[in-house]
Amino acid sequence: MSTHDELKANAAGYVLGSLDATERREFESHLAHCAECTAEIASLRPVVDALATSVAQVTPRAAVRARVLDGVGAGLQTSPQRRPRALAPVWLALAATIVIAVGAGLYAVRVQRQMADLQVRFEQVRATSAVLSAPDVARIDLQGQPVAPDAQARALWSRTRGLVFTAANLPPAPAGKAYQVWVVTAQMPVSAGLLAIDPGGGGTQYYSTPPDIAAPVAVAVTLEPAGGVASPTGEKYLVGMP
Amino acid sequence: MWLLAALARLQPAAESQAEDVSCLRRIASGDQSAAGALYDRHSRSLYSLIFRIVGDETESEDVLQDVFAQAFRQAARYDASRGAVVAWLLMMARSRAIDRVRAKRARFEGRTGDVERIDQMPDSQPDAGAIMLTEEQTRSVQRALGELPLMQRMAIELAYYEGLSHSEIAERLEQPLGTVKTRIRLGLLKLRDALEARA
Repeated sequence: MSTHDELKANAAGYVLGSLDATERREFESHLAHCAECTAEIASLRPVVDALATSVAQVTPRAAVRARVLDGVGAGLQTSPQRRPRALAPVWLALAATIVIAVGAGLYAVRVQRQMADLQVRFEQVRATSAVLSAPDVARIDLQGQPVAPDAQARALWSRTRGLVFTAANLPPAPAGKAYQVWVVTAQMPVSAGLLAIDPGGGGTQYYSTPPDIAAPVAVAVTLEPAGGVASPTGEKYLVGMP
Repeated sequence: MWLLAALARLQPAAESQAEDVSCLRRIASGDQSAAGALYDRHSRSLYSLIFRIVGDETESEDVLQDVFAQAFRQAARYDASRGAVVAWLLMMARSRAIDRVRAKRARFEGRTGDVERIDQMPDSQPDAGAIMLTEEQTRSVQRALGELPLMQRMAIELAYYEGLSHSEIAERLEQPLGTVKTRIRLGLLKLRDALEARA
């Protein structure tokens, strides 16, 4: 059981929506009988509303309006469509429907998987080209460290669009290990994510980076336990500075 | 005198809410022009928030489309006593934008399985921001945010614009959980003071 002060420390997180499910439930049941916390919530809510509108204002492209409103037509129709009456016996129609539905279902699942796959690849490509064409793109070349002197890599980073990382000549990662890419800021190294490499020791990967990240002072690749870690622990394989 | 000034500022907000509610009613009864009106009134602020979170033009447009589709679908169910329409729209925009970023991050990192949704936060909450802020108030919060100590500001931004939980923020900033909670609270209290100084 948490003390009142411990619970009250969660008031701000509650308004921001950043409590996990358990904390949230605990805080809500506390709210029901705590006037002090209820008052704090009420006083903080306008602040959170202000966060929503205190971002840089951008106008969506004009074409979006038509897209949004085109979609409405179907949704707004109120009169239901009439269905034609079945001519064949009901059981026959039903059996046929089931056969078709199962076939179509199986097919749909397969197509959906392929689509999801393609979409992931497509988004990678799109995000990558967005970085390459970003007006604020910066290039950082990385050099192989003593453990992998032949390794080379290049990072292209845009604050608004993310990071594209390309590496070559990395030795294969040992079992249970993986390469992890870090954007090192003056405050701390921030993990960009894991880097998968092909058998030839090369790999290209897109990472989204927080737009408010401090300017990087270096980009690095370390060898870490598979799955990655929160802050670098392993040997440095590649390091580069802007 | 101050009361008159305050009322003069509140008046447009109240009118704007009334107009939004009337748009939703008309949308619910199948009036397409009302959908256009609602779009014209709010697309810019919704898109701005989405773009801040998603950071990509095409994806932000997709999210904006989803948000309006949801608003049009739920127009009939909108309950005016729950708060301002614009707050409702902004809340949907935020949670959908964050869902999008999370799903994308999960796919890029090769994680599978369900992406945690932040939908838990929104409309179950009572009194979802019945107050509408003036531009001046928004600007003062913006200024105050810029003046916060870096770690307080980052913690708040990670929570609000990236939808990270306290423990995820603690991990990202490499700070103890308790410190993160304190920083978020102190930061929000400072923003509140900035806001109230303008009220």
